[in-house]
Amino acid sequence: MLTKLKKRIIHELQGDLSIKERPFLEIAHRIGISEDQLLSHIQKLIDDGYIRRFGATLQHQIAGFEANAMVAWLVDEKDIKKVGKIMSSFPEVTHCYQRQTSKGWKYNLFTMIHGRTEQECYAIAKKISERTGIKEYHILFSLEELKKTTMRYF
Amino acid sequence: MDDTDKAILNQIQSDFPITSRPFSEIAKRLNLKEQEVLKRLTRLKKMGIIRRIGGNFNPERLGFTSTLCAARVPENKIDKFVEVVNGYPGVTHNYRRNHDYNIWFTFIAESREKIEKYLHEISLKTGVTEIYNLPALRVFKIKAQFEV
Repeated sequence: MLTKLKKRIIHELQGDLSIKERPFLEIAHRIGISEDQLLSHIQKLIDDGYIRRFGATLQHQIAGFEANAMVAWLVDEKDIKKVGKIMSSFPEVTHCYQRQTSKGWKYNLFTMIHGRTEQECYAIAKKISERTGIKEYHILFSLEELKKTTMRYF
Repeated sequence: MDDTDKAILNQIQSDFPITSRPFSEIAKRLNLKEQEVLKRLTRLKKMGIIRRIGGNFNPERLGFTSTLCAARVPENKIDKFVEVVNGYPGVTHNYRRNHDYNIWFTFIAESREKIEKYLHEISLKTGVTEIYNLPALRVFKIKAQFEV
């Protein structure tokens, strides 16, 4: 279970770390613990898998990725582990999830593909399709970003 | 952006030091001065290249559940629908996409029941009832950092 202190620390780490000599010190001050205590709590949150990654999040376009496509694949349930692993091995695939289906929606494996152009995304999807043998898929491009934010858990 | 900027960005995405003076540590790795790293990062932040430095959490580990939703929204209802959906703090990403189901958003909440309840509320408020709820059953990959 997460203690009140851990939740308080998570609350702080959801924010934006200051770019200064001792950025963790000011957080420790706000919480009322020592900097050393805070650092070991953060390390523990990472080791225990609460924090998936600690670091900077960049604007995607900076890395030259102007186009992003969500590709939804129809994969036989018995092959899904194998196919998910192969898809994940592509560097252009940043996210890969198996998802529940819904009435009217049968595509069960989702990948996010990043490319420089839409054409490149089509080509990557085609390459993935050829490698996995999965022929039925939908490519969904984002036409407009309507919201992009970080979750505030506590 | 020069090669030094890029080297710093690559370091702070995934190998961010959890130490008293993290930027000094990064400077050491790259043979730079701490002040040089701070100056460059401040500029990269101001330019919008760095969106944020902080923790990225595993919702399930924190006792939350996350899902992807897709809604079929008529053109004349899009503005209202987006306003209502974006009003939920658990909706973290929302995109208009090229499909009959044209609005796709991620939703994080305390439980599956809460998400069902919120989706029901959204339908009541907007009149949009065709919404898929596609929770993740298995995560194969999440990689939000990029070599620059």
